[in-house]
Amino acid sequence: MQPFALNYARPAAELEATTPYVYDSGMQLNVLRDGRIAACDHALMRELGTTTSTAGSKTHFDD
Amino acid sequence: MTVLILTSEEDVTADMVVVHLNASGVPVFRLDPADLTGGVALSGEFVHGAFRGHLSSAGRLVSIGGLRSVWLRRPGAAAQRAASPSAWLTEEAGQALYGMLRGSEARWMNHPDAARRARHKPWQLRLAQQCGLPVPATLITTFPQAARDFAERYPDLVVKPVSGAHPQDPPRAVPTSRVAPDTDFSAVAFGPTLLQRRVAKRADIRLTAVGEELLAARRATGAESEVDVRFAATDVPWCPVEVAPRVAEAVRAYLRGAELAYGAFDFVEDADGTWWFLECNQSGQFGFVEVDTGQPISRTIAEWLARPVEGREGQVNGASAQVV
Repeated sequence: MQPFALNYARPAAELEATTPYVYDSGMQLNVLRDGRIAACDHALMRELGTTTSTAGSKTHFDD
Repeated sequence: MTVLILTSEEDVTADMVVVHLNASGVPVFRLDPADLTGGVALSGEFVHGAFRGHLSSAGRLVSIGGLRSVWLRRPGAAAQRAASPSAWLTEEAGQALYGMLRGSEARWMNHPDAARRARHKPWQLRLAQQCGLPVPATLITTFPQAARDFAERYPDLVVKPVSGAHPQDPPRAVPTSRVAPDTDFSAVAFGPTLLQRRVAKRADIRLTAVGEELLAARRATGAESEVDVRFAATDVPWCPVEVAPRVAEAVRAYLRGAELAYGAFDFVEDADGTWWFLECNQSGQFGFVEVDTGQPISRTIAEWLARPVEGREGQVNGASAQVV
């Protein structure tokens, strides 16, 4: 009784359990532990994959 | 006047836009509707023929009349993190928040009605056809025999979810996958199934549209077996690519038809250089493209959001001010 498309499902890859940044409600931005703005560190963004098209798929339709 | 951003705290992609707004001195008010009745509060009154509404979050207060734009980015469901969450409270909180915001004169990226409609892939495919974008032969069906007949006509097929959603119980991903020629299609009867002719691609294209601005990136296909670029293990970077005038015209027609201010279009490029439309994600990610290509997507979004509302007086810090 499983829909056809689910024959092609695979376990969801877990995103990083912890990210090296935390949301600062005063700045309205995520900041690294050293106070730098996470979004300005493109190398880190690439490494973490938090801006990629599968990030957020858990809760959103659009990638 | 203020830019309102509705998104989750962990949305670091939205941060890329906030940085540009901050640099240009445009006030930003960011909240996640999921925090309503917790860290987020609202109030609005309709008295003497006028409306006055306010939102507060993290010690900030903003007048709904003082909003120049609303970026509906990746918000959680309203009141999802309330002390006593319920489907009823989510409906109540969502109606209150979005109902008041709909009454504002702010520009939307994207309007909730347009966003909801634009998520429907079958509707996307039809609109793309009408706009003159090449669409691979596609079948959406619950008839196993229709699937078998389609597979006879188009022996090289892929299957993908109709909605783009991923099952959560347990959490699974459903990538676009090739369908083997001898596949048993009986299970098509148990759920709508989207089958599409596989385009033998030489590259994936992500075209990010922000208003009238089109920023396209191309990633060469890493391997013949690669089908879904989102799940491909490849180090091939995205590179900027020009948009052919005919494609640009069709994409802009699509945006007008869908009433979208933002759209992330996915195409595949075949051996002839034709871009085949796969889908348009009305809230698609863009950070990974900007990181690879250096294209100013976040700055372009910030500039769109920062545009003043034309011909309107606004309330800035409690004082009436002419919008310039």
